[in-house]
Amino acid sequence: MPSAAGRGQGQDQDHRPDSKESAAADDYAKERYGVSSMIQSQEKPDRVLIRIKDLTVEKADEVVWVRGRIHTSRAKGKQCFLVLRQQQFNIQALVAVGQHASKQMVKFAANINKESIVDVEGVVRKAYQKIGGCTQQDVELHVQRIYVISLAEPRLPLQLDDAVRPEVEGEEDGRATVNQDTRLDNRVIDLRTSTSQAIFCLQSGICQLFRETLIRKGFVEIQTPKIISAASEGGANVFTVSYFKSSAYLAQSPQLYKQMCICADFEKVFCVGPVFRAEDSNTHRHLTEFVGLDIEMAFNYHYHEVVDEIADTLVQIFKGLQERFQTEIQTVSKQFPCEPFKFLEPTLRLEYCEAVAMLREAGVEMGDEEDLSTPNEKLLGRLVKEKYDTDFYILDKYPLAVRPFYTMPDPVNPKNSNSYDMFMRGEEILSGAQRIHDPQLLTERAQHHGIDLEKIKAYIDSFRFGAPPHAGGGIGLERVTMLYLGLHNVRQTSMFPRDPKRLTP
Amino acid sequence: MPMYTVRPFHRAAGAVLAEHWPACMYRVPSLHRRLSPDASPTPQEEVDPVLQALESRQEEILKRLYELKSAVDGLSKMIQTPDADFDVTNIIQTDECSPSTTSGADLDLMLGKDYGALKDIVINANPSLPPLSLLVLHSLLCERYKILSAVHTHSSVKSVPENLLKCFGEQPKKQPRHEYQLGFTLIWKDVPKPQMKFSVQTMCPIEGEGNIARFLFSLFGHKYSAVTSTLIDSWVDTAIFQLKEGSSKEKGAVLRSMNAALGKASWLGGSELTVADVVAWCALQQTGGAGAAPDNVQKWMKSCENLAPFSSVMKLLK
Repeated sequence: MPSAAGRGQGQDQDHRPDSKESAAADDYAKERYGVSSMIQSQEKPDRVLIRIKDLTVEKADEVVWVRGRIHTSRAKGKQCFLVLRQQQFNIQALVAVGQHASKQMVKFAANINKESIVDVEGVVRKAYQKIGGCTQQDVELHVQRIYVISLAEPRLPLQLDDAVRPEVEGEEDGRATVNQDTRLDNRVIDLRTSTSQAIFCLQSGICQLFRETLIRKGFVEIQTPKIISAASEGGANVFTVSYFKSSAYLAQSPQLYKQMCICADFEKVFCVGPVFRAEDSNTHRHLTEFVGLDIEMAFNYHYHEVVDEIADTLVQIFKGLQERFQTEIQTVSKQFPCEPFKFLEPTLRLEYCEAVAMLREAGVEMGDEEDLSTPNEKLLGRLVKEKYDTDFYILDKYPLAVRPFYTMPDPVNPKNSNSYDMFMRGEEILSGAQRIHDPQLLTERAQHHGIDLEKIKAYIDSFRFGAPPHAGGGIGLERVTMLYLGLHNVRQTSMFPRDPKRLTP
Repeated sequence: MPMYTVRPFHRAAGAVLAEHWPACMYRVPSLHRRLSPDASPTPQEEVDPVLQALESRQEEILKRLYELKSAVDGLSKMIQTPDADFDVTNIIQTDECSPSTTSGADLDLMLGKDYGALKDIVINANPSLPPLSLLVLHSLLCERYKILSAVHTHSSVKSVPENLLKCFGEQPKKQPRHEYQLGFTLIWKDVPKPQMKFSVQTMCPIEGEGNIARFLFSLFGHKYSAVTSTLIDSWVDTAIFQLKEGSSKEKGAVLRSMNAALGKASWLGGSELTVADVVAWCALQQTGGAGAAPDNVQKWMKSCENLAPFSSVMKLLK
């Protein structure tokens, strides 16, 4: 591509007037570097670009073209070391004065701003010793040509190296780390880090495995409306949006629609979509918009049929992640070290009263019908882990008093209900129950909870024409990702998180 | 200053107007009535029976404390003097294997007070070396108690053979969890040695097949004399360390001494099946030394295999 390089040379001079004399001097390599003209799809060259992750010892002594970002550059006399990065992979590249590169070319390479995208032609060489700090440790690239494809601004709002540095306790060597808000304000750059890349690859894996597993189990994926006319659970925590001449709400759960699909004989349904909660809680695990993985299923005689199905789905997801995403898990654990996620198959199922008993044994004072507080949830998680060595378990038979009105009461003990939560590393990720499918009972329970029957008329009416017994639950994707990887903030696992204080980017 | 009317709180007689007494309060006799002239004799003269009861209880507790103190003193003296006359007769007073009438209440006694949760015994075992003796004891326990059995696979092991996943056979019809007396949770996990956890708050994990077997067997509530207990204990250790893990020379020696013991009694521990038989039988099965065993041992193995819990475990070996 000599023409492009020629043009590039001209632009290059505009940028750095100090290199004027370089044109005058005998630059034998001036065709071999420069800023390429903007790619407007003017041509379709046959050049094959090799992925950086594929550059291994087998490719030694081959001449290859690579596109990557300048991760770091370091000039040293007549040579310049670059680290080229492509997603979470990187390789060391060397520009040295010699047959292919002139002094000017080395200088040019050393002055390319970090994060710029470049096309590089080079020879793959076996490294004499392992190159620390690069993912491709056994080879390096000896650059023959280098062209800038897209230039980054010289000042970056945050340094990628700082953003992946593990947070050492006690500020050991006082090296910079990047705080959460700076990361989120400059999310595009933060997402380039190997840790972020791995987190979101894994998150995509969770979605994929969720779909795969459920479809294999005979579920049907449905799409539910997100703009709804009435709040599904009485009216709290919903966002109001203007809807032409009146107002509407953003769905806080697809539950009503899932249940309507069951009444419409779809038998087993699931959906993946955004869920909105207008809760003004600024905690490590609450978002105002998150991705809900929702399941609803008709069963034959016992809601445990559904519980087992959901738990197995999660176990299949964990297993799949363990098998397919080991690299990503390792990458994340470099920055955020944590124990690997452990689970049992079939999943451990405890009853609420047992959990209360375990907590009391550990010295916690709580009532039989009291809901679990967050610290108690965590403590229970630790107790269960100690005894059963599992990070994932189900808690069954919650007290009726702490569950929503549509929860089916227990047939034996009227104080209990056919409801369950699932926990990962001691934090709730799923909440579900057998739903009341009898309009009469539903009305009674709604009245008991003091809910305005007018507002939920449509909901109750959907059960008037015969409804199969059914149960289901909803999972928070961000929470599952966070807890699987042992991270401490749900904002790390939401690409562009929404919370009471953040609406951009 | 704006004011508002309130209904009087007391009636003329002094009765409080509240219609429902709050449940969190209790009645107290009126303090004022005491002082009225026609009241009963002054409290100083009459000793309150409650106080009296309290006093006698204190006396009793103190007495027991003294007794305990002297008992502990006696014990410490005995331990500190190396050749104190250790009165063995005192210890072998318990009957040879007292018939046990164990029920849920005795389980409470043995396993400690609980807070209403299912008493769940968790056993971690490696699928490459299934702890057969624990499975035999499990089936024996099932004959005695109502046990909720469960098998799980831990994420640290990739795959577990189908027969091990079904090692508890078909479960009878499921009942609510709290109706069971005991839980028995077997987790196939990548552990070097079988491990048992019961109460994580008050008990440290028990390691090793023999030790867990002893614990499980103790749940039957059998009482043995000190001599028999020691004998049983030693057979368990012999089975684990010499029969199962020992060299062929050691195995031969154990088989010979077993043969001798079984010549005198039908079981290793005497006239009854004990944990020693279970562990020894399983060790023999797993090391594959059953064929070369001497006569009495062969006979004993036959009688073990005639029992259902043993024969069902035999199927796992195939």
